Amino acid sequence: MTESMPPSYRLTEEQTLLRDAVRTFADERVAPRARDIDQSAEFPQDLRELLAAQDILALPFPAAYGGLDADLLTVCLAVEQLSRACATTGLILAVHELASLPIVLAGSPEQHRRWLPRLASGEDLIAFAMTEADAGSDVAAIRTRAVRDGDDYVITGSKRFISHGSVADLLTVFAVTDPDRDASRHTRLSCFVVEVPTRGFEVARIEHKMGLRGSPTAELAFDGVRVPAVNMIGAEGDGFAIAMRTFDRSRPAIAAQAVGIAQGALEAATAYARNRRQFGHRIGDLQMVAAMLADMDAATESARQLLYKACVEIEAGSEDASRWAAMCKLVAGDAAMRVTTDAVQVLGGYGYIDEFPVERMMRDAKITQLYEGTQQIQRLVVARALLGKSDRPEAERDN
Amino acid sequence: MRIVVLVKPVPDPASAGERLGADGRLDRAAVPAVVNGNDEYVLEAALKLIEAAGEGEITLLTMAPTNAPETLRKALAMGAHRGVHVSDVALGGSCAVSTARVLAAALRQLEFDMVFAGIDASDGVGGIVPAAIAAHLGLPFLSYAARIEPDMFGRTVRVRRISATGYDVLEAPLPVLIAGTQALGEPRYPSLKGIMAARGKEIVTRSLADLGVDAISVGGAVATTAVLDSRMPPARAATEIVRGTPDEGAARIVEFLADRRII
Amino acid sequence: MGTIWVVAEPGLDGGLARISAEAATLVRDLAATAGRDAIGIVVAPDPAAAAADLATYLPVVWTIAEPAAADNAWSAVAAGHVAALIAEDSPDAVFVGAGADGRDLAGAVSALTGLGVLVNATGVAWTDDGPAIEMSVFGGKLLTTSGFTSGRGIVTVRPNVATAAPADAPGRVEARTTTVAKPLPAVRVVDRVNEQNAAAPIEEARIIVAGGRGVGGPDGFRIVREIAEALGGAVGATRAAVDSGWIPYSQQIGQTGKIVKPELYLALGISGAIQHKVGMRTSGTIVAVNRDADAPIADFADLFVVGDLFEVGAALVERIRTRPG
Repeated sequence: MTESMPPSYRLTEEQTLLRDAVRTFADERVAPRARDIDQSAEFPQDLRELLAAQDILALPFPAAYGGLDADLLTVCLAVEQLSRACATTGLILAVHELASLPIVLAGSPEQHRRWLPRLASGEDLIAFAMTEADAGSDVAAIRTRAVRDGDDYVITGSKRFISHGSVADLLTVFAVTDPDRDASRHTRLSCFVVEVPTRGFEVARIEHKMGLRGSPTAELAFDGVRVPAVNMIGAEGDGFAIAMRTFDRSRPAIAAQAVGIAQGALEAATAYARNRRQFGHRIGDLQMVAAMLADMDAATESARQLLYKACVEIEAGSEDASRWAAMCKLVAGDAAMRVTTDAVQVLGGYGYIDEFPVERMMRDAKITQLYEGTQQIQRLVVARALLGKSDRPEAERDN
Repeated sequence: MRIVVLVKPVPDPASAGERLGADGRLDRAAVPAVVNGNDEYVLEAALKLIEAAGEGEITLLTMAPTNAPETLRKALAMGAHRGVHVSDVALGGSCAVSTARVLAAALRQLEFDMVFAGIDASDGVGGIVPAAIAAHLGLPFLSYAARIEPDMFGRTVRVRRISATGYDVLEAPLPVLIAGTQALGEPRYPSLKGIMAARGKEIVTRSLADLGVDAISVGGAVATTAVLDSRMPPARAATEIVRGTPDEGAARIVEFLADRRII
Repeated sequence: MGTIWVVAEPGLDGGLARISAEAATLVRDLAATAGRDAIGIVVAPDPAAAAADLATYLPVVWTIAEPAAADNAWSAVAAGHVAALIAEDSPDAVFVGAGADGRDLAGAVSALTGLGVLVNATGVAWTDDGPAIEMSVFGGKLLTTSGFTSGRGIVTVRPNVATAAPADAPGRVEARTTTVAKPLPAVRVVDRVNEQNAAAPIEEARIIVAGGRGVGGPDGFRIVREIAEALGGAVGATRAAVDSGWIPYSQQIGQTGKIVKPELYLALGISGAIQHKVGMRTSGTIVAVNRDADAPIADFADLFVVGDLFEVGAALVERIRTRPG
């Protein structure tokens, strides 16, 4: 056949350069810290500062505000490389990207001028405050209220499981501005940028987690927190739409984290299989081990290629952006869990102890199946894209 | 303040691929080149000096085969302003004597207050080229620098030279050639913005004709040295690995050393 | 008769540098096999003491009294004289130690005379075509034998390649004068500072005990020092330890530090990454202690003890000290 094939995407020279620079940085500065970060469960402030100094945190922002104008794929390349060394560190960039998306995508020029420069320089960190104790997958169940009072809104309520909630300087908070029971979930919520610390705001607790232990996951209490009305992103009621647009770009970043974790585990297991000898052979030569490693590599690579393709499609404004975002996150999260579990298996007893990194990677991987939309939510999104809108109205309400 | 930094691309020591070509010379095409470790330290020193002075320019100068522009990119990304790449087919196989002459010729075409070079290339030439270049150009030569303090107003520079017992303080009028060490301070990582900016920075190529150097006076045919033979070092015996209590480990070490008559 | 020269590097207090005594011994032996005359050269403000010492190794020593060498960097001053001597007397080979001054001299003399240079010789033999120099290149991955295409040239010699051994009878010292037509620019030495913790150059040590990232801090180096002392060795370090400020750069071993080849290299808390490996992999015996069984150094050490370097180290010091004899 001579008809021309659609060009397969290739990384541009610029993307390759940036990816390689982040990779070197991750190998030399992040990897040596990874174990410590997990064991101490302390937020790596030193690495946060280095990420800022290296302009890595500037990637997602427009050049006009001191950013690097990086496209979604480039941001994901960076998250992937960082996560390969340390999932907690990869998350610093990922959360910084996704939490600022409401401002970038839907903010006014004045709001851009106000917040983006400090986010691009890394002076300020930002976190995404949507989830509540009773509102995880079920966004409609959000109860935090924002009530207009003069030139302000007053926010009351509480958020839970907010990554970096205790170290962020800015929070994108989703709160109910239209509490009417019959109001559609599409119009109930609004999005606000809250600058913290501020009166009435408190970090109520930090969770002790299975993995990603260096990343502080916080419960945030808003007790009559005043926020100027000019801090609202978009108009009243735009919150849900903003959130949906955000997810199309935040889910790939988490997929990138998952791919990075899987790659790190694959490399650790492969190195081990090369060196470890039993029965007179390197264990990598034993077929059951070799097969596991091959499957791990295939799973990681397919997750990676799907991610890269999804990024390109989403960046190009595909109508199916949500499908791509959900699918890449679904596949990558499952791949990370599988690959890290198998990595522990390859190392045998040594995989279970903290002398080797794979047990940490397995604990870190699990979250990628849970946050940024559970795997079940991702499946609903993909199914809906496949099957079209349901003719069951209650199904519509399910997510 | 104008500083020229000599940059030597060397085979990446982390790769296993360094080898000699058929002519007994380093096969530079065989492995990716990276900037010689110590060159980054002197570049960092140069960057800090111009940052402190609030003005100045850094030019990189390298003599290397055609893949040099890639190795210069990292140095440009760190903050150097431009590069000069001396490249000529006739240079292949040049010995240290020719290298020094050619680099001296290139420097004659540049304006500078100081030339910096890193001590000791990691691929075998052992640090004599900077001294030779200085001699060709009649520049004061200050080596093994741990600290560099120029006085642009007085047109002098002071250098701390590492000595067996500490350091000597050397002083000379500008322009000078300084060979620096790692003690100058850890080089910065190129920031991502630096990497992007480097793509727009100029690298000028100079051939031997551009430098006024006769091609027959350089290159493998007239090299002053030649590799007569090469071989792999004798393989080390397999590593003996000892696990157990600290005392057991210590006991084995003592036994091992005694067996080899080291203690 | 042809001649082979060795230029002495300045030692402490006007004496003879140890590396020069070694190089002189090597040259004397080489000259004997080559059927050449061995000659030593001392350029100094007052060469008498160093020359007398050098003459215990060589049959002939030429001295050049150069007052400018007193307060100026030595190599630029000496190079002019050495180049003038070479122009006059055409030696077959000129040797110098591969110390800092020796290397600087070799480079300058090479430029002044056009003679080639072979560096970091680990062995020397004589052939019909002049000296054949053994070198270790690519961080120890390859051993080469090289020569000068013209049969003549300059060689720098690593420390510990030869053992300094006086000749049967001391040689004679001859003062010489040379005219340096175009002297190299002199570099003034404004001050010489002794630092308290400056150690003897580790390239010369027979035993090196080195600490890496695993040592954890400047205090951690105490055990490294104790072991070095107990073994009669020198203290070395990796780049990580030096960059963290735990120990001076002069003791750094590796690609951007020193290349060493001691009889024993004892690595404590050192991973053995390539940067460091190229600095010590040709050591006679390599013993490593590290908590991480997967450290790269386990691949090329002769003996690898998996354990805590402080605990193993303390036990080791105890055992060495209480050994009989």
